[in-house]
Amino acid sequence: MTKLNRSNCEEAFRRLDDYLDRQLSPHEIRLIEEHLRICDWCTREFSFEGSVLRGLKRKLRQIDMPPDRVAKVLSSLPRES
Amino acid sequence: MTELSPVLSASQQSGLERPVPPATFESLFSNAANSAFGVAIRLTRNQADAEDLVQEAALLAYRAFDSFEAGTNFRAWFLKILTNCYYSKRRREKSRPVTSDLDDTPDLYLYARSGQAGFPTQGPDPASELLDKLGTERIAAAMARLPTDYRMVATLYFMEDLTYEEIAHSLECPVGTVRSRLHRSRKMLQKALWQVAQEDGIVSDKMAQGDA
Repeated sequence: MTKLNRSNCEEAFRRLDDYLDRQLSPHEIRLIEEHLRICDWCTREFSFEGSVLRGLKRKLRQIDMPPDRVAKVLSSLPRES
Repeated sequence: MTELSPVLSASQQSGLERPVPPATFESLFSNAANSAFGVAIRLTRNQADAEDLVQEAALLAYRAFDSFEAGTNFRAWFLKILTNCYYSKRRREKSRPVTSDLDDTPDLYLYARSGQAGFPTQGPDPASELLDKLGTERIAAAMARLPTDYRMVATLYFMEDLTYEEIAHSLECPVGTVRSRLHRSRKMLQKALWQVAQEDGIVSDKMAQGDA
């Protein structure tokens, strides 16, 4: 396996998900960011994927349980004697 | 564990220390209900089944509340019960095997399609135009197309911001499994989003010809 270095697009791309999810070591993050500084192509791809993730999280969290349902669930629990 | 305040209350200073009563199931559940419902609706795909799932999980959690360690994360504890509950319901229903046409989605699917269809691929938030046009309900519909195992991981990831380790703990599977399923589910979701956008006429069919 090729080692990650500042000029390798393929190795940077393999770590895209882990980079966006902050799953990399500080050393790997630094190498990725050094690569992004010199590679417009990867910068666009990383930026787009990050935008998709942020957008999906934002949209999918716009849902609440109807307040009366919370009360309904609680009222269905057996009462302690 | 919660840090104790360095400031003593009057009763503590006078030696009449009263222990803080433990949080009740009702108060902890009320705080976690929105999260639980959000996850449940993504898993079950409809509101009525989601409400049933939350109710069933709440009953199980209530009965097992003695095993909940006070001061730990109730929401994570409850979500673990809820996802287990969903799995066992599905097993009882002997669900049919699911095949997915999303399996072979290439990397950067949405990026490539967006570029072809004239949506932005650059800028501070390039995917927002397409996602805003789709809206929450249609994005949820795309999520619902994922095979169950992938939908479970993706739901906990997108809805709850859990770490890979926390998702693995909730689903009782290795962290490596979470990582690989999450990677594939992201790709599948991108293709499902594009399919929904096509069906809604947000993008033209012509633009998406040549799908893998």
